[in-house]
Amino acid sequence: MNVADLPMAVFTVLAQMSVGAFLVLGVVQVLARTVGGRSAEQVDRLTDPILYAVGASLVLGFAASALHLGNPINALNVLRNLGSSWLSAEIALGIAFGALGLLFTLLQHFKRGSLALRQALAAVTAVVGLSLVAAMSMIYYSVDIAPAWSTWATPVQFLTTTVLLGALAVGTALMATILVRRRADAAQAAGSEEQAEDLALITTTLKGVAAVSVTMLGVIFLVTPLQLNLLSQGGPAAVESAQVLSGAWFVTRLVLVFLGAGLMGLFIYRFATVTREDPRPLATVVSVAFGLVLVGELIGRTLFYESMTRIGM
Amino acid sequence: MSERLGFYFDQTRCTGCKACQIACKDTNDLPVGVLWRRVAEYAGGSWRTHGRTFSPQVFAYYVSMACNHCDDPVCTEVCPTTAMHRDDDGVIVVDEELCVGCRYCEWSCPYSAPQFDADAGHMTKCDLCADERAEGREPACVLACPSRALDWGPIDELRAAHGDIDAVEPLPDGSVVQPNLVIKPHRDAEPVGAGRGSIANPEEV
Repeated sequence: MNVADLPMAVFTVLAQMSVGAFLVLGVVQVLARTVGGRSAEQVDRLTDPILYAVGASLVLGFAASALHLGNPINALNVLRNLGSSWLSAEIALGIAFGALGLLFTLLQHFKRGSLALRQALAAVTAVVGLSLVAAMSMIYYSVDIAPAWSTWATPVQFLTTTVLLGALAVGTALMATILVRRRADAAQAAGSEEQAEDLALITTTLKGVAAVSVTMLGVIFLVTPLQLNLLSQGGPAAVESAQVLSGAWFVTRLVLVFLGAGLMGLFIYRFATVTREDPRPLATVVSVAFGLVLVGELIGRTLFYESMTRIGM
Repeated sequence: MSERLGFYFDQTRCTGCKACQIACKDTNDLPVGVLWRRVAEYAGGSWRTHGRTFSPQVFAYYVSMACNHCDDPVCTEVCPTTAMHRDDDGVIVVDEELCVGCRYCEWSCPYSAPQFDADAGHMTKCDLCADERAEGREPACVLACPSRALDWGPIDELRAAHGDIDAVEPLPDGSVVQPNLVIKPHRDAEPVGAGRGSIANPEEV
């Protein structure tokens, strides 16, 4: 693992997590209101606070990316080659996602604008977020002389990180929200019925989070052997890349993601099924799962950079 | 910019002495870790069999490489700031005032032409000795070569004189970036993509 790659790893992973969390919140909104028959007020009560965390994670990601730059004072210049450079597109889409997300969060916070307007804005924000992940993938996919990057596995892995970390981040944030609220309510000795309703919605959501985690884990364990097979059949540069992607750090990454998304995924599902009163055990397993997967994905992403071996000289 | 400038490299004459690399470094006052011209040793081998007798069949040759000021440069395409651009005389240069030091060009160039100056925080690269040419002198690498393996000039003239081979191992196929480079291959030069050898001095390039 190369520490010099950390700023880029932190930036891409956090930005993707941010997009993923926004998408997952959208899915929670839609499903809870339609299939679950919940009120907009109840769902908003639980999801609105998470929007702030989504924004914070994006800002933190951008801050980390500046550490990669040799001359951050010139950072604004990176928008000068739109239409040619995928890096310009990435930053433009990142800023657009952040700005639209901020606008949506403000409208939600102050309950301004009609519901339809806010929903439309959220949908546009989600599409821009997905475009951001696509542009990020293209930065690496388009480097033709890097066999480890220039494969279908790059967009698939980026999208997997987006969904997996997005789901677990939302799960953890929901538990944090309800724990904070319980503490506040306990002080005032109020809100038990509202609390029970919220807990019911959250446990249902967490079952979904568990299902998504296990599915994404499956994708990771499918992509890995296929990509290694592809690389090991390639030229010397590709074979060198494959060696980075089968070393001790790579195994560590797979084990962490397996423990987080797989093993903890099972516990999340189980605890979400039996939770009646005390949400703390569920909160613990979700946050442990999130932590394991986050560390695993960060290690995986630094290896993604380290595995870049170029054809040529 | 009717005629593009480029380099000619006579691989049959190169002894791997690196005089070109050092002359470049000296003339352009490059810091430690930055090499605008590099000399790679590409080596490999296999066994020749005659009945039950095995005899070694090995090859080793040098590739001196700077920027080829490509016709279809990937560095200017990926550069987010437009710092990497083609100058009025057709040579590809970095505008240090614009460069943000993201190193995307470094990832993308198969010749490692864009070189990162960590202290300055921006990319640097071969400008075909713009200062020397302005004074009517030749590029430092061309002048320094003791076996006169390097030349430079309008690429059409170089191609007319020396042919149009622009790649041997370990260089990539030239069709993608269209380098302004002419190579006279070593007698053992391996075809592009053969993959039978490796760069023997990776820490030097």
